[in-house]
Amino acid sequence: MSGTYDVVITGGGMSGMMAAIALADMGRRVAVVSKGDPVCCLSTGCIDVLAAGNNPLGGIGSLPDNHPYHLAGEDLVRISLEMFKAVMSEEGMAYAGDMHANRRILTPLGRHKITCLVPGTMKFANFHPDEYIHVISFNKMKDFYPNYITSNYKNAGCSIFDAGVSTTMSIAQRFENRRFLEGFISWLKGLDIPEGRIAIPAVIGMHSAADVCNEISVELGRKVFEIPTLPPSIPGLRLFGGLKNALLKRGVDLYWGKEIYSVEKSGNQIEAVTLAGDGRPTRVQGNAFILATGSFVSGGLHASMDTVRETVFNLPVYLPGRRESWFNNDFFAPGHAIENAGICVDKSFRPVDARVENLFVCGSILAFSEVMKYGCGHGMAIATGVAAANACGEPV
Amino acid sequence: MIKTDVIIIGGGSTGCGIARDLALRNIPHCLVEKGDFAAGATGACHGLLHSGGRYAVNDSEAAAECISENMILRKIGVKCVEQTGGLFVRLPGDSKRFRDMFLKGCEETGIPTEVLSPSRALDLVPNLNQSLEEAIKVPDCSIDPFRLCMLNITSSQKRGGKIMTHNRVIDIIRERGRCVGVKVQDKSTSEVTEIRGRIIINAAGAWGNKIASMAGSGVPMTLSKGSLIITNHRLTNMVINRLRPSSDGDIIVPNEAVCLAGTTSITVNDPDESEVDPAEVDVIATQAQEMLPDFGSTRLIRTYAGVRPLLKANGGDDRKISRGFRIIDHENGMFSIMGGKLTTYRLMAEKISDKVVEAFGLKTKCRTAEIPLEGQEELSGYPLSKRLKTLENIVCECELVTADDVEKVATEIGTRHIGDIQHRTRLGMGPCQGGFCTYRALGIMQETGKMAPEESMRVLREFLQRRFKGIKPALWGDQLREEQLVESIYLGILGMEQEQ
Ligand SMILES: Cc1cc2nc3c(=O)[nH]c(=O)nc-3n(C[C@H](O)[C@H](O)[C@H](O)COP(=O)(O)OP(=O)(O)OC[C@H]3O[C@@H](n4cnc5c(N)ncnc54)[C@H](O)[C@@H]3O)c2cc1C
Ligand SMILES: Cc1cc2nc3c(=O)[nH]c(=O)nc-3n(C[C@H](O)[C@H](O)[C@H](O)COP(=O)(O)OP(=O)(O)OC[C@H]3O[C@@H](n4cnc5c(N)ncnc54)[C@H](O)[C@@H]3O)c2cc1C
Repeated sequence: MSGTYDVVITGGGMSGMMAAIALADMGRRVAVVSKGDPVCCLSTGCIDVLAAGNNPLGGIGSLPDNHPYHLAGEDLVRISLEMFKAVMSEEGMAYAGDMHANRRILTPLGRHKITCLVPGTMKFANFHPDEYIHVISFNKMKDFYPNYITSNYKNAGCSIFDAGVSTTMSIAQRFENRRFLEGFISWLKGLDIPEGRIAIPAVIGMHSAADVCNEISVELGRKVFEIPTLPPSIPGLRLFGGLKNALLKRGVDLYWGKEIYSVEKSGNQIEAVTLAGDGRPTRVQGNAFILATGSFVSGGLHASMDTVRETVFNLPVYLPGRRESWFNNDFFAPGHAIENAGICVDKSFRPVDARVENLFVCGSILAFSEVMKYGCGHGMAIATGVAAANACGEPV
Repeated sequence: MIKTDVIIIGGGSTGCGIARDLALRNIPHCLVEKGDFAAGATGACHGLLHSGGRYAVNDSEAAAECISENMILRKIGVKCVEQTGGLFVRLPGDSKRFRDMFLKGCEETGIPTEVLSPSRALDLVPNLNQSLEEAIKVPDCSIDPFRLCMLNITSSQKRGGKIMTHNRVIDIIRERGRCVGVKVQDKSTSEVTEIRGRIIINAAGAWGNKIASMAGSGVPMTLSKGSLIITNHRLTNMVINRLRPSSDGDIIVPNEAVCLAGTTSITVNDPDESEVDPAEVDVIATQAQEMLPDFGSTRLIRTYAGVRPLLKANGGDDRKISRGFRIIDHENGMFSIMGGKLTTYRLMAEKISDKVVEAFGLKTKCRTAEIPLEGQEELSGYPLSKRLKTLENIVCECELVTADDVEKVATEIGTRHIGDIQHRTRLGMGPCQGGFCTYRALGIMQETGKMAPEESMRVLREFLQRRFKGIKPALWGDQLREEQLVESIYLGILGMEQEQ
């Protein structure tokens, strides 16, 4: 891992990883530098494209002019999502869903989440409210209280299996064991579950979840689907694992668990970043750089009492007014003004007013993305990641 | 219908103190409180057991009361008072003349002081502003208001006192011009109960005028909102005051694992007006940072505000109003007790109980200053250390509260209110401010049949809304980061934005 990379990507979230895949597929030499695991590990694993409205892809056109989706454009959004689906299929985790229609998936509170592309294990989560649902829970499972679901659906039942462990991680690991799975299936068969669908919290295996889900389905003769849980979220970890594997297969170098502590610049060009970690500092040199360090949650942006800073390159940050105006009063009304904070870029994803030529920005750190308001988290990250890769992969 | 001798309205420090005083004099009583104990100013206060120093220059009566009560409370309440000591620090530019008046006032009111050079002060509190001119040490303490109320109530309950929390007084029953009872309504069941008594004590703090007006009277008072902010660290082990005339943000009080900094003083019309303005937060944080520079880089986990029930002044600055208290005999069977401080709650209770005894033609003497607060044996000095032993099945990671703790409290007090659990276990008091653990605690209560799922969803919504109100004014840095996570979980994963 040395020499000069064609592109160095800072931030290994959905946007950074998709940018890396796109660039590697163009034959570029790519490195990804990431301080820690990205937000997608905490997510449901579902790809929200545009949850506000019925037609995710078709709705992009009606977003405000400054929304980052417009930088990619509807065509490229579609192409990048196809690309994502292809990568995940390669990794044995095919996604389902229609880019022109949102779907509803059941949540642990018996409410629903609106999303677009879902992992195969959730493709049957879109059920009719009259249909019978049988919820399976696990003894003492953390943060999962099936009564919330059964009390919200008149036509629902629940059974509890003792997996011998109680965290999502440890239960999921058990499902990777053949004998455990067989024991579980024969227990299910003994329950005499009425005609309908079976809903299980998303812990039925790590990488083999899709097969496990199929097997239960076939053995029971019922449609089976997973309910995403609070973090640690297994479908989120599966998604991350799949993408990371895709990077490694493509020969992308990963510098993980390392934070950037200095940036070398010469004129309008960034030349290298230096990483702090265990032992000697590492210098990573590149011809171009992509900033994909995420929003506040991941630390790409950091707010102080009255300003917001971009933490790696100290780029100018768009700020939606003074702190009094950053938040709504209502916790449940998604879309606080602060969600607009971020980096403004031009059509080629270069930061405006920053006087750097070989830096491109993508993902939730972009200004005006309003991820919660529009429900466009992973979708926007995927689309802008691929679009920024295209922009920077073009010969300058 | 319930019959008793004395009806106490309000379960703040004053009401709880009165219940204990009457209990120790064997006078039957019933206390009604619309929320949990300490739901008003008491639970929203700064937690400073004043030495009196803050009032030494302008309000010698209040100062003298504070120091004598301070000395009593540290003796009778070892488990709710932490003897931190306090410093009044003088920074460059602060008036030397005020410092001289301060020392003189302390001497006249009997507040012991010790003048410390900068280096001696820095020995005691190493992260003080290094350029301080000097510091004056006084016997300030940190006090846990909620515990204080609970312990006072213990004495009452042991002697048959009737305590009704989550019951709001909705009317005062009058017969031939005299107040003979109250009607109270249960918050969860909406059931109305009538309570009859010979004397009614209005200890409703800032709501006192509302209560008095139900009986056709009034009490003159000024309502002064004060805001506070909580840090996620205990930045100092001593109380830090600014040595200058009272103003915004001049006191920092250590409290268990955190610090409380404040306050402000804004006249309001309604006792329920307790919104914190981001501008208040800025002022407090800036001022606190002058005394303790570390404050600037510390994570603020929540803001809150309370409304002080002050005696009525004729215009001018709320801060100049005496912090003394007054008893009003409405001469219709009702007494109101107004003003005062948490620090002087025992004295206030003593004085009004003396009135009751006199009205009943009795001669029993007050004993609250000699007998230690009962129930302290069961409390550990630091709840955290005790809990470290039973780390299984943690519900609240910040404060190490276990599922068993939640179940135990829910069973013991048969509560349906999440606030009751939070007060008694410290659940949700840490950096995440209940963002995760409240969901869990409610899940447990719902699974163990203590709450219906629909009810627990409603409580969760209410809690999240209230929590956000407290966090919002000081939302930046790591706290903002955590908030984005909490928001994504409740809205993005659980789908809670949809109304039921
Ligand atoms: C709890 C939660 C649940 C969510 N659920 C969903 C969901 O179900 N569906 C959906 O579509 N969206 C969801 N979202 C939104 C979605 O996850 C994000 O919008 C999207 O994944 C952001 O991707 P990103 O690439 O912009 O950044 P991130 O995923 O935030 O990645 C940024 C990366 O940069 C690294 N980094 C930061 N600073 C530095 C530095 N100085 N040096 C090196 N590396 C650094 C970080 O460690 C991190 O790995 C959820 C968000 C949250 C918080
Ligand atoms: C911001 C702030 C900081 C402070 N800091 C300190 C400090 O550090 N040290 C100090 O000594 N003092 C401090 N004080 C002052 C102190 O908090 C108050 O003087 C004291 O707590 C008042 O207690 P109380 O019981 O009289 O009133 P409260 O605590 O307000 O109690 C009144 C109670 O009556 C209840 N009630 C109201 N209406 C009804 C009804 N209709 N039916 C039933 N119940 C009803 C309310 O719910 C409430 O619990 C502070 C005050 C504020 C606002």
